[in-house]
Amino acid sequence: MKSQAPMRQRSDQHSASPASAGSGRAYSSESSSIDPLFHLLRILPFSFLRPPRIRLKIPSTISLPSPMTVFSLVLLTYFAVVSGFVYDVIVEPPGIGSVQDPVTRAVKPVVFLPGRVNGQYIIEGLSSGFMFVLGGLGLIFMDLALDRSRAHSVRVSLASFGIAAVVISYVMAMLFIRIKIPGYLW
Amino acid sequence: MGATSNASPAPLNSALSSFPSLKALKFTTKQQELLIRVSALALIYVLAFVVRLFSVLRYESMIHEFDPYFNYRTTLFLTKNGFSEFWNWFDSESWYPLGRIIGGTLYPGLMVTAALIHRILHFFSFAVHIREVCVLTAPFFASNTTLVAYFFGKEIWDSGAGLVAAALIAICPGYISRSVAGSYDNEGVAIFALLLTFYLFVKAVNTGSLAWSLASAFGYFYMVSAWGGYVFIINLVPLYVLVLLVTGRYSMRLYVAYNCMYVVGMLLAMQIRFVGFQHVQSGEHMAAMGVFFLLQVFYFLDWVKYILNDIKLFHSFLRITLTCAITVGVLALSIGTASGYISPWTGRFYSLLDPTYAKDHIPIIASVSEHQPTAWSSFMFDFHILLFLFPAGLYFCFKRLSDATIFVVMYGLTSMYFAGVMVRLILVAAPAMCLVSSIAVSATVKNLSSLVRAKSKSPQGSGKPLSGSKAAAKASADQSLPFQKNGAIALLLGALYLLCRYAIHCTWVTSEAYSSPSIVLAARGHGGGRVIFDDYREAYYWLRQNTPPDAKVMSWWDYGYQITAMGNRTVIVDNNTWNNTHIATVGRAMSSYEHEAYEIMLSLDVNYVLVVFGGVTGYSSDDINKFLWMVRIGGGVFPVIKEPDYLVNGEFRVDKGAAPKMLNCLMYKLCYYRFGEMTTEYGKPPGYDRVRGVEIGNKDIKLEYLEEAFTTSNWIVRIYKVKPPKNRW
Repeated sequence: MKSQAPMRQRSDQHSASPASAGSGRAYSSESSSIDPLFHLLRILPFSFLRPPRIRLKIPSTISLPSPMTVFSLVLLTYFAVVSGFVYDVIVEPPGIGSVQDPVTRAVKPVVFLPGRVNGQYIIEGLSSGFMFVLGGLGLIFMDLALDRSRAHSVRVSLASFGIAAVVISYVMAMLFIRIKIPGYLW
Repeated sequence: MGATSNASPAPLNSALSSFPSLKALKFTTKQQELLIRVSALALIYVLAFVVRLFSVLRYESMIHEFDPYFNYRTTLFLTKNGFSEFWNWFDSESWYPLGRIIGGTLYPGLMVTAALIHRILHFFSFAVHIREVCVLTAPFFASNTTLVAYFFGKEIWDSGAGLVAAALIAICPGYISRSVAGSYDNEGVAIFALLLTFYLFVKAVNTGSLAWSLASAFGYFYMVSAWGGYVFIINLVPLYVLVLLVTGRYSMRLYVAYNCMYVVGMLLAMQIRFVGFQHVQSGEHMAAMGVFFLLQVFYFLDWVKYILNDIKLFHSFLRITLTCAITVGVLALSIGTASGYISPWTGRFYSLLDPTYAKDHIPIIASVSEHQPTAWSSFMFDFHILLFLFPAGLYFCFKRLSDATIFVVMYGLTSMYFAGVMVRLILVAAPAMCLVSSIAVSATVKNLSSLVRAKSKSPQGSGKPLSGSKAAAKASADQSLPFQKNGAIALLLGALYLLCRYAIHCTWVTSEAYSSPSIVLAARGHGGGRVIFDDYREAYYWLRQNTPPDAKVMSWWDYGYQITAMGNRTVIVDNNTWNNTHIATVGRAMSSYEHEAYEIMLSLDVNYVLVVFGGVTGYSSDDINKFLWMVRIGGGVFPVIKEPDYLVNGEFRVDKGAAPKMLNCLMYKLCYYRFGEMTTEYGKPPGYDRVRGVEIGNKDIKLEYLEEAFTTSNWIVRIYKVKPPKNRW
């Protein structure tokens, strides 16, 4: 909700016009303008240069994006940060680790970096980040399902997807952390 | 709310009528709610204090880690000698021979707070030693933080969210890790000050009152006195003001709040000598000043617009003013930066914006383990289900935008980004995560309980006269989801289960990971019993009791604070790391051959050398593992030290195949002196290093210029005496 101070009340009726008025013909009466730069420009290049007549218009005010657009961008950056993106850029771990079986000399992939809490491979970071975002989305869908203005079937599917997302993401996150830290919770 | 209160007073009445004296206890719903809220807050307050006491109960009441020992020593000095002596203290016992101006290079908030609590307790005749006060300061302030979180949550959403926020932050492992009992460090007090400042500022913006703005300025002053992280506040608040201006939410309240907080806060902050004039001179603080001037210009233009009736005139005026203001601003900034008056961003904070900077340019910053970027498992460890609730909470904030929710969203996002860059800053993100998650929890629980409480439409619908088609349409639109009530109850139980799992996780993490004092090590012995290694304190007390009072000790900078605080001897370098060249000199000495190192040690008047060695016990944070950092830092200043000299094919080895320079450098000799005769593990040859997992290469070590003075019982700390130079004849 916009918060208005008393001094802005007078400008309400003008609030619609300033953008379009400012973009178009702001120098209607040349002699009455108080702008010194304008007068200078009128003399210096434009006394001998003639600007061509073009019917161009500066696009109307760049409107602020809607809250939900901003929110989706925010969610993307949250996913990047929580997956350890900065860690990936600086430490440059491999995408997936590998261990060589001492007997058969076969190379087996290792998904979770063992031994340390603060270390990861790229894929493991991304999958865990995905789980966290999925959990958050589940809660959001559960809230959207309570919106009475949607169709019944949409609400049911939103609710069931939301609940499933939360359950799956929690279970998977617990699984990941148990694999990563062997001594977790006993 | 009305549904439940109808059901309860009837049986309550009959029960109470049999006890006439209890009739006075019949509470109205509002009083019941207040009672529940206050008792919940009291329990949360006690919980926040108690959960941090693991190490006090397991070991003893002592100060942990490295930095808190410096804080303890300065607090001791403050209580003994008074504030004036403390403020003007020049310490010649550290950074020999340079000394350190302690009064001007520390943040006094923590020490002054602890000394004040100590004095108040003594005033009430509780004769408590200052060490106990220091150990328990952090849990006490953590409890206070939960109260502030409650009020903050109440401000941004409602009192239910406030309660959840207080409960979440009481046990959040991200916060506990730096505020456990014994961790007497700036952050314990600083997080309280941070949240208080933010709360007071948001309250000021919401109410527009000068009193709240002044209070937020004083909160900011407390924060500046407590921690260097105040730079976060002085950059977040202007960014917030900018966002409010851009989204059109400006008003007189914002003007009053920001102006008052910035001006008064800046003047107060300049009282701290360590900060000095940075608010007008340092590049990190320029954002706040820029927004301050922008705000003046903005409101001035708004006022002129209000006065002028002619819109065209106003537009010309607008263009002139904007051009002038921008030109003047850019000119001032460039002159200031070019002339050097406005210093550029310091390396510590610049590496937050560009994380790759420290790795390439400043090895000291890159070497600290707390400064590494964060992996997903650290986030999970420190936040658990808050990671799921945070996006949902953001969604609810975006759904109901107000000045306060915009602030908490910005705080959450910026702090999460910085937490991703540096592990240590998870602490700053913890309150934001708790606040935003509490909104998600509160909103979800409210939705679910309203579903549980919703009266079913069908019995009432038949009684009301409704026109046919309209009723049918209404019925189909109002049709609730299938199994609504049962489903909602099940989901509420699920939410309760998740929160219980959070509590279990937090308690487990606190107990296992964050309650170790670091100065006392514990391990599981063969029989399953606990073995305690108290070698550090053993070594420091040996130093204190067996060396001359003016002896100078050389060690790596990690142990400097502990040696001065517990050993009471002068050190060459300590954890303050303010002089890179001095540290590089010590690093060079440690990585040179013995005769070269002897020259350096004589030039610094060193009498004793202290090294930490974990090969016998398997303690992995010893000096051999830190050795490459000594080489890098030393090599950064003295090019004669080259890292490849110590590596074999890029690999760091200490066994027979190690580089010859490595096998003969001072650090190797001091750590492995007489180690070749020792059998550390059954079935392994003598001289088997349990940390590196190899048998050492050079077992027959002879020391020419040093002699062994003391080795602790588990060989963790080894002290050597530097022999005086031989007489000429």
